[in-house]
Amino acid sequence: MVNGEKSGVLEAIRRSGLQKLLALGALLIMCTFFSIFGQNFFSHSAFMNILDASYYIGFMAIGQTFVIITGGIDLSVGTVMMSGALIGGVAYNVWHWPIAFCLVVIVIVATIFGLINGLLIAKLHLPPFIVTLGTQFISLGFGSIVAEVQTQQYPTVNQADGWFKTAFYRTQGGFPMGAVFLLLFFIAAYILLTRTKLGRYTYAIGSNEEAARISGINIDKWKVIVYVLSGFSAGLAGILYAATYTTIVPQTGNGLELYAIAAVVIGGTSLAGGVGSLVGSLIGVFIMTVLKDGLMSMNMQSQWQIFFTGVVVILAVLLDIYRSKKAAQVKN
Amino acid sequence: MKKIITVSLAAMLILSGCGSAPPTKSQANGSSSATAGAQPYVAMDAKGFQFQYWQVVEKGAQDEAKKLNIKITFQGPDNESDVAQQVDMVNADLAKKPAALCLAALSTTALSSQLSKAKSMGIPVIGFDSGVPNDSSGALVATAATDSVKAAAMAADHLFDNQDFKAALTKATTANPVVIGVLSQDATSASIIQRTTGFINEMVAKIQSEPNFANAVEVTGQKKYNKASSSPAKVNIAVSIPPSTVQSDVQNSAQQLLNQKNLIVIFASNEGAADGMLSATNDGSDLNRSTGKYKNLLVVGFDAGKNQKAAVKSKEFLGSITQDPYTIGVDAVLLASKAIKGEPVSNIDTGAKWYDSTNMDNPDIAQLLYN
Repeated sequence: MVNGEKSGVLEAIRRSGLQKLLALGALLIMCTFFSIFGQNFFSHSAFMNILDASYYIGFMAIGQTFVIITGGIDLSVGTVMMSGALIGGVAYNVWHWPIAFCLVVIVIVATIFGLINGLLIAKLHLPPFIVTLGTQFISLGFGSIVAEVQTQQYPTVNQADGWFKTAFYRTQGGFPMGAVFLLLFFIAAYILLTRTKLGRYTYAIGSNEEAARISGINIDKWKVIVYVLSGFSAGLAGILYAATYTTIVPQTGNGLELYAIAAVVIGGTSLAGGVGSLVGSLIGVFIMTVLKDGLMSMNMQSQWQIFFTGVVVILAVLLDIYRSKKAAQVKN
Repeated sequence: MKKIITVSLAAMLILSGCGSAPPTKSQANGSSSATAGAQPYVAMDAKGFQFQYWQVVEKGAQDEAKKLNIKITFQGPDNESDVAQQVDMVNADLAKKPAALCLAALSTTALSSQLSKAKSMGIPVIGFDSGVPNDSSGALVATAATDSVKAAAMAADHLFDNQDFKAALTKATTANPVVIGVLSQDATSASIIQRTTGFINEMVAKIQSEPNFANAVEVTGQKKYNKASSSPAKVNIAVSIPPSTVQSDVQNSAQQLLNQKNLIVIFASNEGAADGMLSATNDGSDLNRSTGKYKNLLVVGFDAGKNQKAAVKSKEFLGSITQDPYTIGVDAVLLASKAIKGEPVSNIDTGAKWYDSTNMDNPDIAQLLYN
């Protein structure tokens, strides 16, 4: 029943990434909706607020995109980010290290957790869901142990070492440095995923791990690298989180990984692996933060934000299934 | 192909509409909402919303706002550990350009750039409940709050009025010291830190003024409050702070205190801690005065709530301290309205009361006890 011309159209839509387009469309519709109905949503400060809330989710989502494309999942990113930020805070407040070292500590702690995830998954062949669920708890506990369950404060703009906020969050003039870092990291990750061996193997492992193995790809090595990258991203997210929110409370961070995963899924990356894009994930991140700030501008409490985030995730997955079905029909 | 083109054209139209709309339009929107003649807008950001306490604060605020013809919005993060969510909320509220901002900060440090922004936008900040301690931005003009140190000291004073407590205390020896447990739900919130400090300090001072008890009190359990005694301790004040405000964690910490030998008192410093205490004691039945497993343990709570009220009513709790959440809401809006008009404002102590099974039904107390 599918004639040549029609299948050509569908193929074109599929190639152009229907979901990415729809996600972008949804983002624009949401912006318009909130600009009309929200209180002062269409303003410079609301825009800056959306950026603020995007940084840490954005970094986590970028790392998560690689993991999910390989067909894996990293449930530990939220707590790993907080664990890093908490331990960095201890390095600053308790050990009195220079702030620059403390920021490096954040990234190192998070990258080590990524390495542990990767080794357990690739070398011991444990399921990613279980491994990262385990490291979620381990990082949650570890951060609190090191911090002795004390809240850690990073310096504020006007204090000594406040330069770290102007460098990573906003300049004194209000320029969003966080957005610059997110963009730079996004570009680097984009090049990694689309132009390098790592990117090609990431897709290959996710599409058909056995085939990739037979074709001589060292699956274990690349899987470890992908989880290390996810941990590293969570570490950078930790720096941006500390710069944006200053206060790191022990025993928090669980649940934040779901925002990153939701953003990736909304952006059209398939949880089955092999399919996905970073552009989509970034759009997914902004859909969630626009939704959050938009609902706040309409004076809707956070329970509504959580509720609608869930609705958006389900709609996105439905779309994904619909798209795959269409694509399958075209192939037939 | 046509469909894609149509969709992308529509998208581009929306985008260009978004991008090129004159900024004056949004500013006009903003100022109209902020200064719509008779009805100034006041944004209130609480520390949470999950306890009914905040709903009574909101009721007080709404009633006062109606009286003063002010429009208010009231919101709080999902739980009192969620500092980031509150930062986002305050950001969103500042974007709405309110005439004043009422704030119960989870962390003043986390909100420091928002407070500076409020200052530069000329938005007066009114603290309520735990307020905005140690604000250095100058945005904070006044606070409507309970003096938590005084309020918690009242709990220690009432214990000393109790014969059973005095009897148990005088039995304490260095070989067999007694334990006074303090269950504090949070290590970051200023009001809870003040309550904990207020109770501990008053307790230490009172005990040390008893004959034979000089320098015989130590405080253990939490670095922040620890105090060694110079001579061997007869009384150990054990502080327990759960790792998070999640109810199961609070319950575990309560259990940890209950396992202490010679425990004579537990002070639960807010509704969450009191609820944790109750769930650790089989919903309070272990505290039953005649049949309970801990029938000699004296529990003093803080705040109200349905479960805690029932526990006080049935004497499972000796009594509790209540703030006056309704007045906190009323006074916060009152201060905001004065600040908007440029009138001078100063801090208000909204007061606290002791309640037990004998007085909790008196109308003047009952109205303070939210469910």
